[in-house]
Amino acid sequence: MTDETRSETTGPGRRAMLLGGAGAVGSVLLGTRLSFAQPTRPTVVQAAASGTAKSVHLAGTDGWVSMPAGSPPDLPFFPDSLAPSPFDTYVFGFRDVTAMATAQEVAAVRGKAQISAPMLAFDEGDDVTIKLSNLGLLMRPDLFDGHTLHWHGFVNAIPLFDGVPELSLAVPIGRDLSYFYRPHDAGTYMYHCHFEDVEHVQMGMTGMVFVRPKQNGTRVGNVPTGVRLAYAYNDGDGSTRYDREFAFMITELWSAAHYRDAHIQVSDWTDYAPSFWLLNGRGYPDTIAPNGDPQVTAGGRLQYQPISSLITCNVGETVLLRLSNLGYQNHPLTLDNVDMQVIAKDASLLRGRDGSTNYQVTNTVDVGPGESRDVLVTPRQPGEYLLYDRNYAYLGNGGGPGWGGMMTVLRVGAAGTYAPQTQPNT
Amino acid sequence: MRLNRTRARTRDAASAARLRRRSGILAAVGALVAAVAIGSTAGAQAATSEGLLCQTDPHQTFSLTARTGYISTPDGNSIYMWGYGMSSGQFQLPGPVLCVTSGQPVTVILHNTLTEPTSIVFPGQKAVKANGNPAQPQLDTGGSLTSMVQAADATDGSVTYTFTAGSPGTYLYSSGTDVTKQQQMGLYGALVVRPAGAAGQVNDRTDSAFSPQHEYVFLLSEVDPEVHLAVERSQPVDWSAYNARYYLINGRSMPDTLAPNNASWLPSQPYGALVHIKPWDAATNPLPAVIRYLNAGRVSYPFHPHGSDERVVNKDGHALQGTSSTAPQDLSYLKYDIDVMPGQTVDALMDWRDVEHWDATTNPIPTQLPVITDQLLVGADTWFSESPYLGTKGSYPANITVNNECGEYYHVAHSHALQQATNYGAAFGGMMTVFRIDPAAGCPTS
Ligand SMILES: [Cu+2]
Ligand SMILES: [Cu+2]
Repeated sequence: MTDETRSETTGPGRRAMLLGGAGAVGSVLLGTRLSFAQPTRPTVVQAAASGTAKSVHLAGTDGWVSMPAGSPPDLPFFPDSLAPSPFDTYVFGFRDVTAMATAQEVAAVRGKAQISAPMLAFDEGDDVTIKLSNLGLLMRPDLFDGHTLHWHGFVNAIPLFDGVPELSLAVPIGRDLSYFYRPHDAGTYMYHCHFEDVEHVQMGMTGMVFVRPKQNGTRVGNVPTGVRLAYAYNDGDGSTRYDREFAFMITELWSAAHYRDAHIQVSDWTDYAPSFWLLNGRGYPDTIAPNGDPQVTAGGRLQYQPISSLITCNVGETVLLRLSNLGYQNHPLTLDNVDMQVIAKDASLLRGRDGSTNYQVTNTVDVGPGESRDVLVTPRQPGEYLLYDRNYAYLGNGGGPGWGGMMTVLRVGAAGTYAPQTQPNT
Repeated sequence: MRLNRTRARTRDAASAARLRRRSGILAAVGALVAAVAIGSTAGAQAATSEGLLCQTDPHQTFSLTARTGYISTPDGNSIYMWGYGMSSGQFQLPGPVLCVTSGQPVTVILHNTLTEPTSIVFPGQKAVKANGNPAQPQLDTGGSLTSMVQAADATDGSVTYTFTAGSPGTYLYSSGTDVTKQQQMGLYGALVVRPAGAAGQVNDRTDSAFSPQHEYVFLLSEVDPEVHLAVERSQPVDWSAYNARYYLINGRSMPDTLAPNNASWLPSQPYGALVHIKPWDAATNPLPAVIRYLNAGRVSYPFHPHGSDERVVNKDGHALQGTSSTAPQDLSYLKYDIDVMPGQTVDALMDWRDVEHWDATTNPIPTQLPVITDQLLVGADTWFSESPYLGTKGSYPANITVNNECGEYYHVAHSHALQQATNYGAAFGGMMTVFRIDPAAGCPTS
C-alpha cells in the first residue's frame, strides 16, 4: 500500500547528507559517569556514496557480548562457560564492513558480531545497495545456517530483496548477496535476518534503519531561521522538525536459548522466557554508557554493543525518538516529566488521506513486536528524566536486585550545554 | 539451525503423513489461479476455494451447534476441540463466518451438544436478547456468576439470541460461559456486518471500498495441547502451566493456512488464509483487498505483512474518523505491523504496487541474481521464481520442487512475536500465511 498523501513534497533535490562525516565534536564529553572511551567513529553506517547511489557492506556472523555487571548467575545458561573474558553471552549479529579495504579484514570479523546491528540511515530516493556476506559461525562450524537481510516495513518490496529464505534466497556461508532498495517513504524501520527467524532474530541479528525525507534542508511552514532543518517526515508544515534524534532497538534476550545455541542444543521457542530486556543491545545502566566501536578493544565488555541509548539535549530543543521493537513482547515505554508526542507509527505519519493530522500526546507509548513509533519530545526544564518500560517486570537484569533492563536517561542541559548534533544517538 | 532442529524434534514424528499432506497443499495452491471468491451472496456458502466464505441467510437467521471434534496441525498432531458449526453441518473451527447487513435483525439459535452449558456473547452488538429477554449475566442461587449471558443447557439445550446488526465492520462472537476454558477449546467465530446498500465497503465511508473478490478474514487464536488433552480425558486443567504451542489463523497453522477453503484433507478446518491479488493499477485494478483481523486468543498478536503496508480503516466495528458531522475526518493510518489485542477486530485495506517496474530488458535490477550454486534454497521446495521480474520464471536445480507457477511473487505475513510463527517451536509455521501477487495479465494455467 502506498500513501497518496505522503509522496512528492517539493525539495531542493539532493543535499549533502546531514549525517556528516567525522567530527561528532558535541558528543565527546557526554556520559562521563562510566569510564568508556568515546570513539570518533560515526554512529550510523557511512555508506560509500556516489550521487544517490549508496553502498553498504554488512557481514553476518556470531560473537560474544556482555549483560550488565552484577547480573546474577543462572547456571548453566548465564554466564556462559564458553564465553571468553570479559563476555558472558553468545550472539549472532551483523557487522558493518563497508570501510574495510580487503577480504582479509572482512574475514577477521568472523566471530565478532555486534548487537544491536549497525544503524543504517538513507535519504528518500537513494539507490541503496547492501551487500551481505555470510562469514559463518565461529563457535558452530557444524552448522551451515544461511543469513538474509529483511528490511522490515519496506513498502512494495519484491521477494528477491525481501530476505525470506523460503520465498526467495538465503546467503550461504562464504558467499555474498547484494540487496537493492530505493526507499520512497521516509520513516523509522528496522532490519533483521529472516533465516530461521525466531532463532536468528532472538540471537541478535536486529537493527535500526531509517529513511530521511526529501523535505530535509528546506524551510517549511512556520519553521524559524537558524534551526536545524531536519524532519522525520515530509509533513509540509514543519510539525516533525527535530534538533536531535535518538534511535532505540528494543529487544529481549533469553539466556537459555543463547546458551543452547553455543552448546549444540536446541530450544523449543514456544517456551520463550527472556532474561534480559535491552535497548540497542544493552541493559541499564549500560544503556547510558557512551557509544563505542567494535574495532576498538577499549570498549571493554561493551566492545560489541557499541550503541548508546543516552539521550542528551539542550532545554527547549525538540528531540526525535525512533522506537522499534524486534523483541517478542509488547513494551510500553514511559517518559517521566516530559510529554511525548507520537507523530508516526510504522513509518507512517499519523495523517489521514484527507490531510487530517492525528498526532497523539501521551506519557506512555506501547510498541508491539515488529512495530515502530516516532515520538517528539521538547523538554522545558534542565534535568534528568527516565525513559523506561512501564512493565516493571522488564526493569531488571536476569532477575537480580536493583534497577536494570529497558531503561535509559534523557539528560537535558541548559541552553548551549551540548553542541549541535551531527550523528544520531550522540 | 535448521538441520539440528528437525533431527532433534522427535515429536514431529508423523512425517510421512505430513509430507503427503504438504504436497497436497502445494498442489492445491498451484491450482488456485482461476478461483475467485464471490463475496456474500444469498443462500449458503459460496463454493469458493480462496477468500472469505460467507454464511448468509435471507432472514439473517443462523442455527449453530456447539460440538466436539478434532483439528490437525502441520506437524501431524490431532487436537481435541470444541467449536460452533452450522446445525445442518458438522464440527468446524473456527465457527462459520456470519455475514449480515447493518440495521437488519439477526437471529442466532445455539444448540448445545457439549457436556456442560455454553452460550454466545456478541461484543459490540447492542440490546442483545436471549429467548426474548435482555441478555444478562447469570447468577446462581448463591449470587455467583455462572455465565455472561443466558446459556444453553448441557447435552441438548438451546437458546436463541436476537439483535439488530450494529455499525459496519467485523465482530467476534464467542462463548460467554466458563470463558477461559471454552475460548481455549475453540468456541469462537467471526461476524461481518456490511453497510446497508454498500456491501463493497468496510464501513459507510466511500474511501473504505474494497475489491469484493479480495476479501479475507484472519481470525487469530492459539492452542495449548495440554489443556485439550486434559479436557478430552475429563481431567483437571492446570491453568498455571498454560503455554500455547500452536498459533492459528482461521483454525489452521502454516503451511495449512495456504490450503484452499474446504480442503478435503482438513475436513473440520474449512477456511484458508492465502491472499491472492494482482498489482494495484489505477485503471484496471484500483480497489484494495480487505483483511479483517480478529483476536480470539488471550494475548496480543502483532501481525506483520511483508511486501506492503496496510491501511487500518476500522476497529471493533467502527470507522476511524473524526467528529465532523458534515465530513468526518479520515483518521485511518498505514501500518506494517497490526498488533491485534485480545477481543479486538481490525479491518485493513491492502494492495501491492509495482513501483519500480523492473524489467529484464528495459529496466533490469542493478544487482545480480546469484547463480544457483551461490544460493541457499531452504528446504526441498521453493516458492521463489528464481527471477526478480514479476511474471518471469528462471531455471531451477533438478532436486527442487517448484511451487511457483508463472513468476508470481510470494510474501509472507506472520506474527512478529516470532515464537508464535512456529509449530511447537519449529520455524516457518504457526500464525503465518502467504500473500500471492500474480502478474497484471494473470497467471496462465498450464
Ligand atoms: Cu541469520
Ligand atoms: Cu520483521
